[in-house]
Amino acid sequence: MPEHTSNGMQCHEFDALLADALDGVLRGVQLERFQSHARSCRACGPLLAEAEAGRNWLKGLTEVEPPASLVASILASTTGVDTQRLRVPARAVQPRGSWFEHAQAAMSGVLEPVWATVRQPRFAMSFGMAFFALSVGLTVAGIKPADLAHINLRPSAIRHTYFNTEARVVRYYENIRVVYEVESLARQVKRNVQPAEPGPAKQKDRKNDTTQQPEQKQERNYSQSDSNTYLANAPMGSSVEGLGNDLPVVSVTTYRRFA
Amino acid sequence: MEDVQVVAMLVRRCLAGDAAAWEEIVQNYNRRIYNICYRFAGSSDDAEDLTQEVFIKMYRTLSSYDHTKGAFVTWVTTITRNLLVDHFRKTKQDRMTDSMDSVASQHDDAQPLSEQIQDQSAPPDASVRSREVSETVHAALGKLSPELREAVILRDLQDMDYREIASVLRVPEGTVKSRINRGRAELARLLQRTYRQVM
Repeated sequence: MPEHTSNGMQCHEFDALLADALDGVLRGVQLERFQSHARSCRACGPLLAEAEAGRNWLKGLTEVEPPASLVASILASTTGVDTQRLRVPARAVQPRGSWFEHAQAAMSGVLEPVWATVRQPRFAMSFGMAFFALSVGLTVAGIKPADLAHINLRPSAIRHTYFNTEARVVRYYENIRVVYEVESLARQVKRNVQPAEPGPAKQKDRKNDTTQQPEQKQERNYSQSDSNTYLANAPMGSSVEGLGNDLPVVSVTTYRRFA
Repeated sequence: MEDVQVVAMLVRRCLAGDAAAWEEIVQNYNRRIYNICYRFAGSSDDAEDLTQEVFIKMYRTLSSYDHTKGAFVTWVTTITRNLLVDHFRKTKQDRMTDSMDSVASQHDDAQPLSEQIQDQSAPPDASVRSREVSETVHAALGKLSPELREAVILRDLQDMDYREIASVLRVPEGTVKSRINRGRAELARLLQRTYRQVM
């Protein structure tokens, strides 16, 4: 506040008297000097008006009512006696009821906290989602609520249902195209790998094998080492005696065919 | 508000373990403390929590009260004020007095407080209008700096005299009066700007 002297009063003096002036305790000469300064000082005059207006605004504010549970909360948090004294009169005025009302009252004491928890939105949403998932699952599985009445619960029927279901699952699994292809591929790989596996003893047997199975004949015919000379138009029986005469000779070289 | 002898007796009974005496103290002072907390903190939830904290502290330090040093209400108000200051520091609510036209947000298009407060519609009746005025004054009170706010709350809302306020705030009476004057004037300026725009 700028220091200013007006009518024998300085601004800081005016400021010190301002609260008393608003309270109405200034009297006589002091009040006259104060009012005179307020009229003549450009800083203190508006200050007086604003301070008075501010006080009037604040006087217009009424007391707010504290929450009803505040006293009980304070007592519970300080003495720990809770609100026993407040509750006793409430219990005393309760009329005597039947055993059903007593049981209901006892149950409500247990159920109310549980029910209050269940009523919370997050729990309600969880239950809703669980119900939705269950109903969708049953619909997809083709189970109708009406079918449940026809369920046979005898042990033999349950066993029968179990094996039927198992067979259905196996059939379904084996009929899947991907599974079928993978299995056939595995069989093919296994078949290709098998010929390399047998040991030398088996090959020896084959050399001495005189049964001449078709595939073995073919293998032998396509052998790379085979380079036989065949006589064209030569009767099989006289091939030995006519060898080296005028007969034309056809030379055939066969190569092993690799698949 | 209080008879010194009656309160001293009540405190003695309370210290002796009389739960009824403590309950009587709680019943007598909860409204006053709640109102101080509500006007200072600004919200009813904070006021409720702070009121409970004040009574917990009172309960623990009741033996330190000496009726020869001052009135019980002054002692209670001092505890309340100290807790409010602690709460203010903890929550970092540095609500220094700022202009109603100052923009709270950094955004250029944010509205000043005076535009946020003003009501666009006509009030339906006098009670609604009165409630709106109270809310506006309460909001403006929250814009004062803590030193000015506590001074005007204790003087104009709790009707404490300057000596008691000086004792609670631990400042000279002259400082108390100066803070009250500045607080009232600043509040009036804030509200005048608001209502000049509304009218």
